[in-house]
Amino acid sequence: MKLLKFILILFLIGFISQIAYSLPSGENDQGKVTLSGYVRDKSNGEMLIGVTVFCNELKVGTITNVYGFYSLSIAAGNYTIRYSYVGFEPQEKKLQLDKNLSLDINLQAVESQLGVVVITGKRTDENVRAPEMSMVKMDIKTIRKVPALLGEIDVIKVLQLLPGVQSTSEGATGFSVRGGSSDQNLIILDEATIHNASHLLGFFSVFNNDAIKDVTLYKGDIPAAYGGRLSSLLDVRMKDGNAKKFALTGSVGTVSSKLTLEGPIGSERTTFLVAGRRTYADIFLPFAKDENVRDNKLYFYDFNMKLTHVIDENNRLYLSGYAGRDTFKNQFAQMGFGNQTGSLRWNHLFSKKLFFNLSLIYSNYKYELGTPEGEASSFLWTSKMRDYSGRFDFSYYLTNNHTLRFGATTMLHQFEPGTATGLGSESAFNEFILPSQYALEHSLYVSDEFKSSSKLTLKYGLRFALFQNVGPGTYYNFDNEYNVIDSTVYSKGTVFNHYSSLEPRLAFTYLINPVSSIKGSYSHTAQFITLAQNSTAGTPLDIWFPATPNVKPQLCDQAAIGYFRNLDNNMFEVSSEIYYKNYRNVIDFCDHASLLLNPYLEGELRIGTGYAYGAETMVRKNEGKLTGWVSYTYSRSFREIPEINEGNRYNAPYDKPHSVNIVANYDISKRLSASATWVYSTGLPVTFPTGRAIVGNAILPIYSNRNAYRMPDYHRLDLSISLMGKEKPGKRWHGEWNFSLYNAYNRHNSWAINFTQDSMDPNITYAEKTYLFAIIPSLTYNFKFF
Amino acid sequence: MKTKAYLFIFSFISLITVSCTEKIDIQLDDSYVRLVVDGSISTDTMAHAVVLTSTSSYFYNQPAPPVSGATVTISDGIQVFPLTETTPGTYTTAQEVFGIPGKVYSLNIKLANAIGGHSDYSASSTLNPVTAMDSITLQFHPEWSEDGIWEVKCYVQEPPTVDFYRFLLSKNQTMFTDTLDEWIISDDLFYNGNYTNGLPIGYLDQGSTEQGLRVGDTITAEVNSIGKEYFNFLAEAQSELFGSNPLFSGPPANIKGNISNGGIGFFTAYSAARSYAIAPEFGK
Repeated sequence: MKLLKFILILFLIGFISQIAYSLPSGENDQGKVTLSGYVRDKSNGEMLIGVTVFCNELKVGTITNVYGFYSLSIAAGNYTIRYSYVGFEPQEKKLQLDKNLSLDINLQAVESQLGVVVITGKRTDENVRAPEMSMVKMDIKTIRKVPALLGEIDVIKVLQLLPGVQSTSEGATGFSVRGGSSDQNLIILDEATIHNASHLLGFFSVFNNDAIKDVTLYKGDIPAAYGGRLSSLLDVRMKDGNAKKFALTGSVGTVSSKLTLEGPIGSERTTFLVAGRRTYADIFLPFAKDENVRDNKLYFYDFNMKLTHVIDENNRLYLSGYAGRDTFKNQFAQMGFGNQTGSLRWNHLFSKKLFFNLSLIYSNYKYELGTPEGEASSFLWTSKMRDYSGRFDFSYYLTNNHTLRFGATTMLHQFEPGTATGLGSESAFNEFILPSQYALEHSLYVSDEFKSSSKLTLKYGLRFALFQNVGPGTYYNFDNEYNVIDSTVYSKGTVFNHYSSLEPRLAFTYLINPVSSIKGSYSHTAQFITLAQNSTAGTPLDIWFPATPNVKPQLCDQAAIGYFRNLDNNMFEVSSEIYYKNYRNVIDFCDHASLLLNPYLEGELRIGTGYAYGAETMVRKNEGKLTGWVSYTYSRSFREIPEINEGNRYNAPYDKPHSVNIVANYDISKRLSASATWVYSTGLPVTFPTGRAIVGNAILPIYSNRNAYRMPDYHRLDLSISLMGKEKPGKRWHGEWNFSLYNAYNRHNSWAINFTQDSMDPNITYAEKTYLFAIIPSLTYNFKFF
Repeated sequence: MKTKAYLFIFSFISLITVSCTEKIDIQLDDSYVRLVVDGSISTDTMAHAVVLTSTSSYFYNQPAPPVSGATVTISDGIQVFPLTETTPGTYTTAQEVFGIPGKVYSLNIKLANAIGGHSDYSASSTLNPVTAMDSITLQFHPEWSEDGIWEVKCYVQEPPTVDFYRFLLSKNQTMFTDTLDEWIISDDLFYNGNYTNGLPIGYLDQGSTEQGLRVGDTITAEVNSIGKEYFNFLAEAQSELFGSNPLFSGPPANIKGNISNGGIGFFTAYSAARSYAIAPEFGK
């Protein structure tokens, strides 16, 4: 059997390469030539993602892919090719193209050469021209300029400042995109899924910005290559490592320090990057007055590594890894949780036009919680969620107006929802094991980007997804009242249930004139695994569960249309979008749902429909002394589930009608810059009591309809100021002080609102809010050595 | 186990943040008035009480309005025990009444004036047997709080049936776990059929005048075997009273009782067994 599988796989690979090599390579096409290559950052050799490569004479262009590769097929001739990228000096090459040409380009970052001098050349018009909508790309430089909680700059916190993206709770890195829940976001780090992107109960994300190169968030119009989640795709790419010289980057901050080492190994062809970060709040605990707190532990660390090797012109290898872990410990209990991911990727150029990538990916999220041994109540509880996957992707740059992308993925999900056992001989607890579950998720996709004229670009694609439940596993059957009737046990390897979905992805971009365009998109997405979480922010105790015969996959249709306009010679980018989303099989949980260590979890699910709509608008300025953006979002999200709220429509948990974000950075001088962000949003919907009953001497609340009230409005101002060390020629140490103030006007934003009985007169009840942060100053020192 | 996990995670929020609370003004709507029932019958020989009140607006800030003049009976299917109104809204059985394990008890209420469109309400509950504890012990943990915490541990062979428990504590015959949110409740999911070997069933704060112990004080632990429905009612009520937060609270939801016709509250039958411990010398 195994041999047969092996032969099949070999046959498949052989078949694919046969096809790949037989596709027209451009060499023989009459009069057509292909210009291809890689675009790098001149200072460190990092591949640049999303660089515009544009032929001025023909008004056609392309952008570099996630590996920095581009390919443009045009008629032979003499052309001026322009390479442009935000934050970099554009380059123009005059080329006599009479045969295929490989041309690698090194772009020079603006800052390092010109300081803060305003660029007056032609700016990039990507906002208007790019055939993508509902998408935001953040380079790490922009992210670094935003003031941060405790000085710890965080990728996800910056994304939450974009229109259509909301934080799930104060200070949390969980996010909701266009009214969807946080488990509907697919977060990938170098292709590997991150199941829980938070550290320290969500106040920090797992992304160490020193190791990150590029972050792209798709709020809709998700590329056909990806699927499995309804709301968004967050694609995070790690740096490859400096190819020119060894570099040491780091920072010492109020809560954490980090260090990154990168450089070439032997030659420019092999580079490495290792990055580590650790918080040290607990280092001060031994000095605490309270003896009991001294033994507490509270920290997290992460570790990123990447190896890149250029085998030859046509082959590259990338090995990436991430491991992170949080530890909490006090005298009563201890807890640990974290992600581990790894991905091995091979890029191969079958021809100048055909780019191939093969990825093998592993990802694991696990946690454990336990109490000290030696008590009757001692226990240890562990849980894991693992994915093993493989994928291949082809980009076929057929002609200057057709780019085909196709590929396939396969993934094994392994759910271990929980094992709780008594710890030590004194424990009174039994072994309690929730059975593991297994599922396979496969997909095939194809898409074409078709520039039908200089004004109209169409993107159309189709993704076919197949989800299979595989044994071994125990599945329960429920009656109409959600009581367990019986169970079915499946043996290893049995495929006992499957779902499939055909997902069209359509988009157009119509250029009205060189500075304005209209874009529209439609996508259908399906989600086969769901997070058992009915709180807004969530804890590390995540339990994912698969679609099964009892639980249908959640489905979403999203349509969006937008107007994009650049002003003042592309100085200002304006974008406005409206969208509508329709959900089917949307999952919510019954009242007082019990989600942890519950073998009958599926009995707690209630399934219905939902819809969301909204409008987003943003004005962004990327260049000049003053940079930043202002955005306004109107967003509504509703659910209708027969057994919840008496079957009446209710506000979805992340329904926040209005929100405003202002992000500004001002370069005062070459060395000094100041930043400010101000955020405002309507409070999240909540359920409040509208009556009371006294039972057992306690005042029991009687509630309003689900989510009928709102938390008070949220608003906050953050400020920061950065001072760079003096630059001298030949100086190798570059330092920077950053002082930041979180919640500058000390607003006590409600994190939770509770109703309490007065301790003096138990008949009196009052509302009480809990807020997490007052004004928080912090100081960080960043350094770079190379 | 799950509660412990939540409390543990919650304790770290205060370490990470400067979390504070403050009073806030909130305008709440009123909903219509409903009957509230708080009644029980146990295996103890005593006057068993059923308290009838009505719901009020959330910020009513006075004792619940009593519902007087109702006709209230408890029946075990054969025998009917009439209840008489002793104080406004409180109806009690005769002194010599006791419940018998295995029987199903029904409460019937006929109101003088209809509430919420109904004047007839009923509820029923099965009385489950309880296994008496072998013993309880007291263990002092000076490091758990400023004045220290006493942990009450219980020793009993838990039967192999699916059981639900409530534990009540008294010091020198005065019950100090006198409100619903102070009751310790537990299902036997994680220790079914095991010897409990000192599982904690309650805690006493040495710093509190009500709970603090002196040498020779008697601590009485009462264990009640309660039904699954009542256990769920208490668990739901306790989770609502604990308050909500974005970490692990789902949306607040009404607490499901067993009173017919939209009545709020619960009528339960339960069995009771008690065990005693004498407070040792302080700190031992």
